[in-house]
Amino acid sequence: MNFVKRLFSTFLAASILFTGSIQTVQAAMISAEQVAESSITSQGNQDRTLIVAALSREDVQSALVARGIDPAQAKDRVAALTDEEASVVASQLDTAPVGGIIGAIVLVFLVLLLTDILGFTKIFPFTRSVR
Amino acid sequence: MILKCFILVFAFLLSACAASGVREVTQNPQFPRQHELTETPFFPQELYHCGPAALATALNAVEMDVSPDQLVPEVYIPSRKGSLQIEMLAAARRHGALAVKIEPELGAVLKEIEAGNVVLVMQNLGLSWAPSWHYAVVVGYDLDKELIWLRSGTFERFEMSLSAFQRTWARSKYWAFVALKPGDLPASDEVEAVISALISYEKTAGAAKAKVAYAAAAKRWPDNLVLLTGLGNSNFVTGDLTGAASVFRKATSAHSDSAVAYNNLANVLLAQGDVLAAKESAEKAMRLADNNQMLKSQIQKTIDEINAYSVKK
Repeated sequence: MNFVKRLFSTFLAASILFTGSIQTVQAAMISAEQVAESSITSQGNQDRTLIVAALSREDVQSALVARGIDPAQAKDRVAALTDEEASVVASQLDTAPVGGIIGAIVLVFLVLLLTDILGFTKIFPFTRSVR
Repeated sequence: MILKCFILVFAFLLSACAASGVREVTQNPQFPRQHELTETPFFPQELYHCGPAALATALNAVEMDVSPDQLVPEVYIPSRKGSLQIEMLAAARRHGALAVKIEPELGAVLKEIEAGNVVLVMQNLGLSWAPSWHYAVVVGYDLDKELIWLRSGTFERFEMSLSAFQRTWARSKYWAFVALKPGDLPASDEVEAVISALISYEKTAGAAKAKVAYAAAAKRWPDNLVLLTGLGNSNFVTGDLTGAASVFRKATSAHSDSAVAYNNLANVLLAQGDVLAAKESAEKAMRLADNNQMLKSQIQKTIDEINAYSVKK
C-alpha cells in the first residue's frame, strides 16, 4: 500500500513538475543551469534529482516548521534554496553541522584547556596556543 | 606530580609540529607577509547566533546593509541552536550577494584576504567527537607571526595561531565562502565554483543583477559556454536583444558544436523579427542535438514558435 502511494506521489510530482516547467520557461531558451548540468551528469540523473527535489520541498518545509521556524519564514527560506540544496537540507536537517559556539560542551575543562594550548581546539578565548 | 610531568612532556612533543598546510603558506613567497582588512565591520553575536552575526559581517563588508537580527529568522534554527551551511549561502544570495565557495586550503583564504574579500568560515572549535561548530569571518593574517585574525563571536579581533585555525577549520572540511557584490569575482581561479554560485544566484537575485554578475565572469573566462549562456539569457530577459544576439553569436563561434548556443540564438533572432535567420539557426541546433531527446524537444519548441510567428505574419 505504502509502495503504491509512493509510486503515485512520485508520478504526480513528476507530472506537476514537467507541466509547470513547460509553462514557465522563458520562450524556448535553454538555461545556463541545464548547460552546466549536462556537462556533469547524465540525463537520467538529472530527472531523478528534479523529482527528488520536488518531493523534498514539502518535507523541507514541514521539517523546518517542526524545528521552531515560523511557517512564513520557512517558505521564504526554502525559496532561497536551489532544488539541489533543498533536497540536501531535507535529508540532513538533523545531522548536518550547525554553527553555535556553545554547542554541547559538557566536557572536562582540563581536556579542552590542554587541547586549546596545544592548538588543536580554540574553546577558551584567553588561551594562547604554543604553536 | 607525575600527571603534571606527563602533560608537560606530551605538550612539548606536540608543540613541535605545525598543522599540515601551514608551512606551505608561511614559506610561500607569493603571499604578502601580512595583510588585514581593518575596515571590516563587526557585529558581536548573541547566544548561539554566530551564523547571523558572521553573515552580517560579511554582507556589510560589501556594503549590503543588513543586521544580525534581520538574519536570525533567515538562517537560525531554534531547535538546533545554530545555522546550516546551505542556508548561510542562500541568505547571502537573498540579500543580493554572490556567494562563492572557495578552495579548501589555507592559501585560498589568504588569497581572498589579499584581494580585499573577507572570508566566512565554519570551524569546529571543539573536537571531532565533541563538536562546537562556529561561524566566523577571517579578516587578516600575519605569516611571520603565524597568526590569523577573525571577527568571531563577541570578539572584534579574535587572534588565533595559523595552526589552531587550520585544525579547527579542517573539521568543517575547510568550508568557507566569500560574499561578493554582483560584478565582483573571487581572487581564486576556480571557474566551477563561480559557475555554481552564479546558477544559484540568478534564481533569487533577478535578471538585472545576474546579468552584471555573468558579464564579469564571462569577461574573465570568455569562452565558457555556461557563462555565455547565462549572460546571453539574462541579456535576453532584460530586453537587451542586441547584446543577447552578440553573446550567442560568440558562443556559436567558440562552440560550433553547441546545439544550445544555436537554439538560444534562434530565439533571440526571432524576437528581433529575423525569421529566416532564426529558422536557419534552429535547424542547425536540431542537427547538432544528435540523439539527445530532451534537447531535441526543447529545440522543437523553438522551431514551433518560429513557424507560428511566420504563419501569424
